[in-house]
Amino acid sequence: MRSMHPAIPEPSARAGAPALNALRNLLATARMGAAGTLAGWPVLLGRGGFYVVAMFILAQLWDKVAAERVPGALALPAGGLVVYVGVTEWIMMSTPAIHLRLEDDIRSGALETHLLRPKLYLTQKIAETIGGLVARSGAIAIAAAGLFALSGRAGPAAPAWAAIVVLALGAGVVIVLMYALAGLSAFWIRRTLPIYLIVQKLLFLMGGLFAPVSFYPRWLARLCEASPFAAALYWPGVQVLTPSAPLFRRALELQLLWIVLLSVLAALVWRAGLRKVLRQGV
Amino acid sequence: MTHSILNYLYQAAAAVRTSLADRTNFVLQMAGMTLNNGFFLLLWFMFFKGFHRVGGWSGTDVALLLGVMMTIVGVAGVAFGGYRDMAATILSGELDALLTQPKSVLGRILSRDSMANAWGDLFTGILVLVGFAGLRASQAPLLALVTAVGLTVYLSITVMFGSLAFWIRGARSLSRDLADFTIMVSSYPGSIFTGPSRWIIFTLLPAGFIVLTPVRMLREPGLATLALLAAAVAAYVALAAGVFRLGLARYRRGSTPVMGH
Repeated sequence: MRSMHPAIPEPSARAGAPALNALRNLLATARMGAAGTLAGWPVLLGRGGFYVVAMFILAQLWDKVAAERVPGALALPAGGLVVYVGVTEWIMMSTPAIHLRLEDDIRSGALETHLLRPKLYLTQKIAETIGGLVARSGAIAIAAAGLFALSGRAGPAAPAWAAIVVLALGAGVVIVLMYALAGLSAFWIRRTLPIYLIVQKLLFLMGGLFAPVSFYPRWLARLCEASPFAAALYWPGVQVLTPSAPLFRRALELQLLWIVLLSVLAALVWRAGLRKVLRQGV
Repeated sequence: MTHSILNYLYQAAAAVRTSLADRTNFVLQMAGMTLNNGFFLLLWFMFFKGFHRVGGWSGTDVALLLGVMMTIVGVAGVAFGGYRDMAATILSGELDALLTQPKSVLGRILSRDSMANAWGDLFTGILVLVGFAGLRASQAPLLALVTAVGLTVYLSITVMFGSLAFWIRGARSLSRDLADFTIMVSSYPGSIFTGPSRWIIFTLLPAGFIVLTPVRMLREPGLATLALLAAAVAAYVALAAGVFRLGLARYRRGSTPVMGH
C-alpha cells in the first residue's frame, strides 16, 4: 500500500546540519508570525491610520517650533525634523508587543507546556515576533510613503532610503530584544508594564524619538549615541538628515553589536527566570 | 443608584487591597512608573530648555497639562483598573462568569483590577501639580472638578476602545495602543492642534475634553467652558454605554472572536 503522505519527507532526508535546521525552523516560525499579523489586516489598517494621525500631530509640533523662531532657541536643520520623526515613529510603531505575550505565558503558567517541546520557547517567540515586525513594518511603510508623497516635504535621495529600510529592520530587532527583556521580568514581577514603559521612555529620550540626540549637550549626546536606544532610533533616523556611507556602516555595526549583547542578556535572564520557575513556581 | 455606587466602591476597594497585598511587587510597580514619568518630564524639560515656547505654551503650561493627565491616568488605574485589559477580558471569555451575576457587567469589569503602577502616576501627577503647574490653593476645588471631567471622558473612550474586542480578534493590543495614543496626544501643548488634528482631538482621541479644555477651565474659568465640558461628559458616557451594550448583545449571541494579539 502506498503512503498517504507522500509530501512529507523521511527524517533522514530532512536531517541537515543542526544549526541549519534550527535556522530553517526559526524562519518558518517568523513566516508564521508574519502570516498571523497579515491575517489581522483590520488591525494593520488601524495601525497605518494611527501612524498618519501621529505624524499629523508631530508635524504640527515641529512646524510650530520652526515657525516660532524664539530668540536663543536651538536651530533646527534645514527642512526641519518632520521626516526624521517620520522614520523614528515608523520604527516604534512597527514593533510588536512581545512583552505582553511573554507576560501572559509566564504569569498564567502556559509556559510549562512549551517547556516540554523540543524547540526553545524564547527563540520561537522572538522569531515569531520578528515575522510580525516585518509584516507590520511593510504595512506602516505604505502609509508612511503615501503621507510623505502627499506632504511634499523634501527627503533624502533613493540610496539613503534603502539604507534607512535596512537599518529600520535592524532597529526593530533591537527593540524586540529590549521588549523581550521587559517581558521576561514577569518571572519576578506581576506586571511588566512599568519596565516596558521605562524601556519605551528611554527609547524616546536616549534614542531620539522626537529629535536627534545630537541636540543634547555633547557629553549626553555621546552617551546616547553609543546606547542600544540610539541604535534603534537615532542611527536609522539620522540617515534622513545627513546620509552617508560611513554613517550607515557605523549604524550597522552598532546595531549588530547591540543585537548580540541583548541576545546574550536575554538568554541569561531566561535561564535565571526558568531556574526560579522550576524551583518555586510563578 | 446609590446601591450600585456603593457596590462598585466595595469591589474597587477589594481590588486595591489585592494590589497592595504583595508589598514588594507594589513598590516595584509604583517606583517603575514614577521613574517612567520622571523620564517623560525630563524629555519635556529638555524640549523647553532648547526651544523655550510652542505656540504660546510655556513649560509651566505643559506642567499643568501633564499633571492633570497623570492624575487622571493614576485615578483610572487605581479605581477603574479593569479598563486597561478590558479587551483581553472579553476575548478570553471571562465575561461568561460576570453575565450570571446580577450587578452591572461593565462595573464588574472596571472594578476587577487595581493597577499598582497607577499609584506612581497619581504620585507624580500630584507632585507636578503642586510643584510646577503654577496653581493656587484656592483652585483646588476647580482642579478636582476638571480632573473628574477628564477622568470620565478618558474612561468612556477607553471603554469604547476595549469594546472593539466584541468585533475584532486583534483588539487587545489595538485597544491598549489606542489608549496609550490618547494619553500621548493628551501630553502635547494644545496650541499645536489646528485643522484636521483639532477635529481628531475633539472626537476620536478626545484629548481636547480630557485635558485641554479642563486646563483652559483652570486658566480662564467660564460658564461656556463648563457647559462644553458637561456636554462632552454626557455625550461620551452615552456613547460608551451604547457601544458596550451593543457589543455585549453580540457576545451573548456567541459572535465575539476569541483571544488573539
